[in-house]
Order: sequence, then C-alpha cells, then structure tokens
Amino acid sequence: MSDERKAEQPKRPPGVCVPWQEKLKELPEIKGDRELVQRVWEDVDALGYVYIWHCLLSF
Amino acid sequence: MAQDMEQLYQERMKRYTTAMRNGKPDKVPIRPFVAEFTAKYAGYTCQEVTHDYQKAFDAACKCAADFDWDAVVGNMVYVWTGLTEAQGTQYYAVPGIGLDADVGFQYKEPSEERAYMQPEDYDALIDDPTGFLYNVWLPRVSADVAPLGSPATFRNNLAFVKGGMAMMQYFSGFGEQAARLRKESGTVSAIAGILKAPFDILADKLRGFIGLTMDLWERPKKVLAACEALMPHLTWVALSGADPDKNVPISIWMHRGCVPFISPAQFDRLYWATLKPIIEEIISRGHQVLFYAEGNWRPHLKAFAELPPGSIICHVDQDDIFAVHEVLGHRFCLSGGIPNFLLSYGTPDQVREHCRKVIDGVARDGGYICDASAIMQDDTSIENMRAMTDFVREYGVY
Repeated sequence: MSDERKAEQPKRPPGVCVPWQEKLKELPEIKGDRELVQRVWEDVDALGYVYIWHCLLSF
Repeated sequence: MAQDMEQLYQERMKRYTTAMRNGKPDKVPIRPFVAEFTAKYAGYTCQEVTHDYQKAFDAACKCAADFDWDAVVGNMVYVWTGLTEAQGTQYYAVPGIGLDADVGFQYKEPSEERAYMQPEDYDALIDDPTGFLYNVWLPRVSADVAPLGSPATFRNNLAFVKGGMAMMQYFSGFGEQAARLRKESGTVSAIAGILKAPFDILADKLRGFIGLTMDLWERPKKVLAACEALMPHLTWVALSGADPDKNVPISIWMHRGCVPFISPAQFDRLYWATLKPIIEEIISRGHQVLFYAEGNWRPHLKAFAELPPGSIICHVDQDDIFAVHEVLGHRFCLSGGIPNFLLSYGTPDQVREHCRKVIDGVARDGGYICDASAIMQDDTSIENMRAMTDFVREYGVY
C-alpha cells in the first residue's frame, strides 16, 4: 500500500454509511440501553452499505 | 426419500470439498456453471430467467434434478433485471426489452466520454468510496436517481425503496434456493459471497476499460490509490456473504488483469498488489477463494502460486489446462478446461474424448472439478452436456 494511504483512516469505514458517532450527536439523551441503540443503528446502517456495494458488484 | 437426498447431498459435499482442498475424492466432482443453458433445458426464454428470478431458480433446480451434478449456482444468470429496471439502471440491455427475448442480457459499457467516473473524480472516490457511489455514481447509472443537490423526485425516492426491497427479496431467495436444491436433488450450492479485484471493478463499472487504460499512463498513482481505497470495502462485502460453515468458496470473477489487457508490470504493481492482500485476508478467516479467471492467465500463474497451498481453486478458461496443472496442480485444485465451443458445436464423442484427456492429464491425483471453460449460455448443446456429465461420472471414478 502506498505511504499516503497507510497513514489515512477511511472517512467511512467498510460496513458503514452513517457512523454511530455522527448519529449519536443528533439524538437526545439515551435513557435506556445505549448499546442496544448503537447495535441496531449499526446493523441497519450496514444494510444501506450492502445495498450500494452490491449495486456496484452484483448488478 | 428425504433421507436419501440428504445422504446424497452429504456425499456430494464431501466430494466437492475434498477436491477443492486439492484432495482425491471418490469421483471427479461435476460443478457446471450453467446460466442461460438452464432456460434452454427447462423450456424458458432468456427473458423469463433474467427478468423473473423465480423461473431462473426453477430452471436451475430442474437441471440439478435431471443431471448428476454435484454442485451448481442457485441462479448463474444472476443479474435480476427486474431489480435493475426498478431502480432505473441504464447499463444493461435486457432480454425482451430492446433485445429479443431469446438473447442473454448484455452490459453496455459507455464511451470514454460518458464513463460513469471521469478522471477528475478520482480524488472523490479515493476520499470516500461509499459516499462516491451514493452521491455520484448511482445518479449517473440510474435514470431515476436524482443527482446530489438537485430536487428529490418521486422516481428518485421510489428507486431506493424498490431497489433496496427487491435486493433483500432476491438475496433472501438464494437462501431458500440453496435449501431447495439440497432437498429436491441433493445438490450443493457451489459458491457463497462475491469478490472482484479493485482493478476490475474500476474498469468495469467506474472508469470503463478504455478510460482506465489511458489512466494507467496518465495518472497511474491515482489508479493505485483508487484500487487501495476499494480494497477494504471489497474485502468486507466478500466476507459478509461467505459461507459461515466455510465449506464452499467465495468466488472472484477476474477478467481485466489477464493477457493481453495489461502488461506484466501493471499486473504486478496494480492488479495483484491490490488483490493479493484481499485474498490473504479472506484466507486468514478460513475461507477458500474460487479464482474464476476469465481469459488467459498463464503469465500470472506464478503469482497465484505465492498463495498458501489449498487456499484457492483456479478455474481455467482460455489457458491450456495441462500447462496450468504443471504450474499449479501441486498447490491448488483446478476446474474447467472443457471448451465451450466443443460443448456447443462439437459431437458427443469429441466431448467425451476431451473429458477423458482432462481426467487423465489433470485429475489423476484428485484436485480437479469438471466444468466448461466459461459460463454456459443457451448455445450449449443439451446432448453434449449429457455426454460430459455421463462420461465424467463413469470414467472419473478413483
């Protein structure tokens, strides 16, 4: 891998469209199970990721 | 009956996986990649199996039940044009729509000037591949998706809902299809998960091959950086669809890295440099990879041999399978090597004779899976397919 790429972290990592940290800033205080909210957000967000990458690769 | 089918399935799975690990099973496995051939055999048009995936599933099941095959793909036609039409995809010529109903679907690569990614787009792709696909690429390939910043439209909104739900429905159907093949005919679903080389996907769907060829000379650093940016995403998608039991391989469909499309130096510096780490990552997770290497790859076989023994299955298309066996046979299972022109236009005796040569020359110690050189469309002769299947089943016993 070229040196400049090694130093960089992807802006939007694999499996992610809208990162949890970005969504978290938009939410009111989470009074219940925060991990549950994060997990479900990330699981469903990954479907959006799968959709666009399969548009590219499979269709 | 159900128990017999399950027993048959287990026998076939063992035969298939043993050969894929370069071992010697009880018989030479047969794993034909049959696409529009299934329509021809089952009495459907190309339009029916391309646009109505349930008919494609039915056709694959009928073939699997009638031929003594160990493994098939649930739907090798694969591109469901009902989905692509639902989201306004413009790069396919669809059988029954613009094409005769008996013609297979076609990919329409745009001219260099109309490529879906232009040279000035490299930095955006490299910076954020997923964002680029949603914001730039999809609006360009879809007649319905509105470009970023333009007013949202009814058709834009519908394209995402219909496209997403159709994809979910179709992919869920593959799970049901695998169960059906197992139950109805004891047939193994041959592959799970999709991979393409970064260079290939850049050539196929983004820059186009002509544009990418120019980029290799005019902006090679950008090409490398783009391939590197695609690597983690292609790895993720491949692993997300892999067989959790790690029996069947992830398939990679390789084409633009073959001879004579790029030079050996470009292969080393770009194609292989950005593909090998993906393969190694997948292997490290315990999965095999089926190199469906379309075209002529002989100059690159030594690169493939850098991978751990048993880690890939090398499918042979245009190369001399006996020569490939000399280089790779001690490390990897091979598949293919039965020429499509022979299966389409040869005689059954010619097919049997060629299969005999391949079994004698390549499969003697195991590590060979019978298949045509390339995916079989509706020009493949049913009589010759029967000859190949029956001969290999009879002669290919260890």
